[in-house]
Amino acid sequence: MKRILIVDDSFYMRTMLKNMLTDAGYEIVGEAPNGQTALELAKETNPDLITLDVILPDNTGLDVLKGIKAEQPDMKIVIVSAVGQEVIVNEALEYGALSYIVKPFSEEKVLEVVKKALDE
Amino acid sequence: MKEKTTKKEAPSAGAAVESGTDKTAETAVASAKDNPAKPEAVKEEMIHLIVFKLGAEEYGIKIDQVKEVTVTPNVTRMPRTPDFIKGVANIRGDIIAIMDLEERFGIRPVPLAGDLNPHITYTLVIEAKEYSIGVIVREVPQSLNLSMTKIDKTPSFLQDINIHENYIEGIAKVNNRLIIVLDMYKILTQDEIRELKSN
Amino acid sequence: MKSREQEYKEIFIAEALEYFDALNRLISELEKRPQDDQVLAEIFRMLHNLKANAKAIGYLQISDVSHKLETAFGLIRNKELSFSDEVVGVLFDGIDLLGELIKSIDSERQVEVDPVLIRNLDIIVDSLSDSTVELAKVQKFSTSRNLTLSDLIYIQVKKLDHLMNLVGELIIDRDRILSLSRELDSDELKTVGSHLYRITEDLQYSVMDARLVSIGTLFNKFPRVVRDIATAEKKEIDLELSGQDIQIDRNILQIMTDSLLHLVRNAITHGIEKPEQRVRADKPKAGLLQLSARSDRESVVITLTDDGKGIDIGKVKNAAVAQQLVPADVAENLPDSEVYSFLFEPGFSLAKEVTEFSGRGVGLDVVKNAIDSIGGRIRIESEKGKGTSFILQLPTSIAVKGALLFEIDSIFYAIPLIHTDSVVALDKDELHEVGEVLVADIKGETVTVVYLDELLNVEESQMRLGDKTRLKGQVQNIIIVSYNNRKLGLIVDKLYRQQDIVVKPLSKPLDSIDLYGGVTLLGTGKVCLVLDVPAITRYFVNRR
Repeated sequence: MKRILIVDDSFYMRTMLKNMLTDAGYEIVGEAPNGQTALELAKETNPDLITLDVILPDNTGLDVLKGIKAEQPDMKIVIVSAVGQEVIVNEALEYGALSYIVKPFSEEKVLEVVKKALDE
Repeated sequence: MKEKTTKKEAPSAGAAVESGTDKTAETAVASAKDNPAKPEAVKEEMIHLIVFKLGAEEYGIKIDQVKEVTVTPNVTRMPRTPDFIKGVANIRGDIIAIMDLEERFGIRPVPLAGDLNPHITYTLVIEAKEYSIGVIVREVPQSLNLSMTKIDKTPSFLQDINIHENYIEGIAKVNNRLIIVLDMYKILTQDEIRELKSN
Repeated sequence: MKSREQEYKEIFIAEALEYFDALNRLISELEKRPQDDQVLAEIFRMLHNLKANAKAIGYLQISDVSHKLETAFGLIRNKELSFSDEVVGVLFDGIDLLGELIKSIDSERQVEVDPVLIRNLDIIVDSLSDSTVELAKVQKFSTSRNLTLSDLIYIQVKKLDHLMNLVGELIIDRDRILSLSRELDSDELKTVGSHLYRITEDLQYSVMDARLVSIGTLFNKFPRVVRDIATAEKKEIDLELSGQDIQIDRNILQIMTDSLLHLVRNAITHGIEKPEQRVRADKPKAGLLQLSARSDRESVVITLTDDGKGIDIGKVKNAAVAQQLVPADVAENLPDSEVYSFLFEPGFSLAKEVTEFSGRGVGLDVVKNAIDSIGGRIRIESEKGKGTSFILQLPTSIAVKGALLFEIDSIFYAIPLIHTDSVVALDKDELHEVGEVLVADIKGETVTVVYLDELLNVEESQMRLGDKTRLKGQVQNIIIVSYNNRKLGLIVDKLYRQQDIVVKPLSKPLDSIDLYGGVTLLGTGKVCLVLDVPAITRYFVNRR
């Protein structure tokens, strides 16, 4: 079973993502509401994939992305962002994020992106 | 909330104590007069005791450990508890354990003076940190104010007394009376609580 | 049943209200320090989340307003819009509107969005710092504003506990007044008393009601738990839930959480067989686990049933004999229900032979203790090869319980009804001295009977529990209690009526004496001791 870490500052978003992913048979190894926790959990749980919200309270999502990539260069990261953040998303892709999901997302879209990222 | 009420009740505990107080109050005043030469006598640290009899001896408890003094209400016996626990009583809606210190310390009871009604006893409600407990006495407790200097903290002669010296704060000597001052908070130590449990 | 949609909605509202409060705080800070980037970033982030969440759940007005506000704050952040008084006014209005919209989700009331406000928002967003466009006054929110508070409040359980205790005290005093009015035979007092009775009863039920939660709040956590355990155990499990709407006291549910989890884990780990074993046994490949709740008069019955391999009663007997819980000859003839009760003994284990109840986490004795502590009951039904059921009978509410009042040696006692099976009057001749105990045939069942006066009041060295001559009178009143699937008859001196009592826990230092579950005050002001049936049973077993 593939292991996924969810990074999002909204409890609502985390719950939705968690439900969608667990229903699809993925294991959620952790949920991080901020950048600091995200960095710690990424190291600690070493998941197969991380879903990363780009706007986080203590850090920007980009800093988290760079931080994780510096320590775990092969980590698969999918950006989750709302419309209007195209600039950040593009930057994130440059820094090594595999793909992105735009909020609000459909279950199909999430599963499709996650599966594709994991298969890469 | 609760603590406030408790504090309010504390002085009334003294008031509830009967007329025997007068005499001892006098004693207290007299003892203060004994040292008129010292100016600091006014500031002298005083101690207020509730005094009662166990067996033939007089015992005292500091008034701030006594929540109230009341005629012992109906006590409901609780089977399979140690003998010194007389049972539980309803005191103003609180259900508290009633304890007999004579049995607790193995003190031989003495016959009551002829004019006392053997069916009426008094209960000192002691408020310890975590719980209240009632202590039964057979005569009306008295209130006594005295100088701290009257209390002898030397425990050297206590070995003869059948009470663990830990509970004894000191011995007060006032006008040929000897009053054993108890620290009620230490009466029920952890060990004894455990003993209760195994019963 | 609380659906996932319902859960999403609740989470959304709770989080949105948090954002709303934080936004109000932050925008006030921003007014004082317009250049504070951190505050701006926070505001931006919250509006951003609010927008995305609202869009996901389908509250388009909220997401629309959040979007406009987010854009406005984005402009402020990029210094494209100045944080002027006029702009601040519009932003405050916008945030207020968000609050209104969030709060209206759970109410019937529709919020009418003032078009002027929306237009103002559009103006500041679209026309940038072009100040030639007038911002219209928004009447509704700026001048004649009302402070509206949510109709829903969150309250600490501790406060409800306190309220419940006060109601308990009140009921005791009420009963005292009622009994005084009878003693004094005062009509006026009786009238007041009966009015007081109705009010306190209403009050009691209202407070109890405020503490109720639906069992679904716990049950709905299990699909995930079951899935995880099943995956780890490489088993297939179908979980069926029912009765999620049944209401129960929040604290009782809290105390039961770990126990239920333990039982579910046991059922999956040790009860339900691996798929290949099930197929061989002609069962469906996936095991069935049913978790149900139903109301039964004053209690709630939770049943956990699996269709696994069941409990091998012979092995339980052997283990009980091996662990010296029961002599072999006695074990032979024990009814099944009594045999299962060994499983609740501390440290009881079926060792290596059978793994159904061995190992893993706390044992069933811990489950039993939790249930005892709230005055509930648990029993097991099982059939080898077919499956096992755990049946938990729990009180709906903690403080007030129905109890049976009786007297022994002039002391009043009560036993909670949840532990009483029946009451019988038997002639002394119907009691038989068997070994060191008395037994009687009660409705075709042989039940051990004990004279409570003897058990409670006679010096332990003098105690003779099997001696009929100790009994007073010819007819004996016997309360049949049941604990851990074992029945025990308690002979009492006088039997009184059944009554609702408020159990007060014993305070220190008496709280360590486990024979008593607490005390209660009777209407007469007399203290009544509440016997703890589990403890009495244990005490009796130890004395014997």
